[in-house]
Amino acid sequence: MLKVKNLHATVDGKEILRGINLEVKAGEVHAIMGPNGSGKSTLASVLAGNEKFTVTEGEVEFEGQNLLESSIEDRARMGLFLGFQYPVEIPGVTMANFMKIAVNEQRKFRGEKLLTAAEFLKLMREKAKVVELDTKLTSRAVNEGFSGGEKKKNEIFQMAMLDPKLAILDETDSGLDIDALRIVATGVTKLHTDKNATVVITHYQRLLDYIVPDYVHVLYKGRIIYTGDKSLALKLEKEGYDWLINDYKE
Amino acid sequence: MELRELIREWPCVKEQWLVAGREERPQVALDPEHLSVELTAGAEAHLVLLYTAPRTSEVKIHLAEGAALTVNLLFTAEAFTSVVIDQDATSRLQLTSVELGSANAAYTVNLRGADAESCVNGVFLTGGEEHAELAIRTNHLSADCRSRSIARGVAGGKSVGRFEGMVYVAKDAQRTDAEQQNRNLLLSEKARIETMPQLEIYADDVKCSHGATVGQMDQEAVYYMRQRGLNEVEARRLQIAGFVGDLVMHCGEQECLCGAILELMEEKLRTI
Repeated sequence: MLKVKNLHATVDGKEILRGINLEVKAGEVHAIMGPNGSGKSTLASVLAGNEKFTVTEGEVEFEGQNLLESSIEDRARMGLFLGFQYPVEIPGVTMANFMKIAVNEQRKFRGEKLLTAAEFLKLMREKAKVVELDTKLTSRAVNEGFSGGEKKKNEIFQMAMLDPKLAILDETDSGLDIDALRIVATGVTKLHTDKNATVVITHYQRLLDYIVPDYVHVLYKGRIIYTGDKSLALKLEKEGYDWLINDYKE
Repeated sequence: MELRELIREWPCVKEQWLVAGREERPQVALDPEHLSVELTAGAEAHLVLLYTAPRTSEVKIHLAEGAALTVNLLFTAEAFTSVVIDQDATSRLQLTSVELGSANAAYTVNLRGADAESCVNGVFLTGGEEHAELAIRTNHLSADCRSRSIARGVAGGKSVGRFEGMVYVAKDAQRTDAEQQNRNLLLSEKARIETMPQLEIYADDVKCSHGATVGQMDQEAVYYMRQRGLNEVEARRLQIAGFVGDLVMHCGEQECLCGAILELMEEKLRTI
């Protein structure tokens, strides 16, 4: 589904990604961990097409297509979803209106029939349940005045609405209390099938109690320096990154 | 429904309109040169003013005690309009003004009786070489009144938008509660916004706030919307529509009027 080869990227001339290699197949869950400033969020942003970053080297193939040549919106329409670490507020634009446009733009791109208002409302009610999202929130402006937990739930709600092939969740667990974490993580697990894939970027092992990864990668100074199974996350939680980083230095 | 179709169903007023009691349907005035509106005590009405020709216009409105008026103004041509509203005790005013391009709108609200309340919302959208002016002056002349004046401007191309706000609180107008706010969005480097939010206060027990901002499009929000599948043009349009849209959502019970005005605004936004 996703093949990243020797990806290098810079921001303001500073190299953040220094040769990422990663392959994600349908049905898989990958976790990307690593100390602050290692490039985790940059990787997510570069894959989504954020124009702040410049790709200087490498290739990314998504569903057989060259991802780096596609616009931000075409990547989204091809089925790449990014759950934002800091979801953006859009005053005056209701969640429902925003999602209706987004869902239909994506359907149009894929040559599917557009949803009628009634079909859309039904879908919205159904998907709001996945993350126990209060349906009142959908008539409010996008993320405006939402609590930290509501914003993150809202990201997963949008993921449920858009049904992406690949979801990259950038620190979706940060700032969540234990109940919200459970709801968000359970939501992600419910949406997982053998046809889609999930990449979760996280600092904490506790998220991975709910979302069980097939692979855990450690990102350090812009490279994936180590890959293991879910037990790696537990070891990192106990021992930190020092043993890996030291290893890496030697 | 289109605005033209919509207003065809409503009665027209010319020069003078006296309302006693409750008017169920909105009344329309089309490019009035002079118009005087009088609501007697406790009366309720809805007035729609359309400016489709480059003329001057003077509108005088008096709300007697306990009267309530909703006014919607829409400018699709460069009219010069002055609207003066005198409000007696416990009367209510809800006014929304939308300038789609060059126009000059000046509102003066005189709160003359205790517990009168006014809410004036103004929006202008300009592009090309257009020039829009919006002035809202609220005179608190009696104690215990509340006023809100909210203005939003969007300027693209080489256009100029200008807001002049004034809240005047007379010496005896104690316990005044006044809010004045002006927010603007610049869509291009050549567009210009001028804003003058002013307060003049002579009473000592009042609550008054005022503020003005001029900003650009929120690129993070555009990125966020594009990541969900909207193209850049659509994302920008939605953001601008959101910025000004909620101010227009006050058309009394006339939701279809709000819808028609919003549609015209969206049409205008496509050209900025």
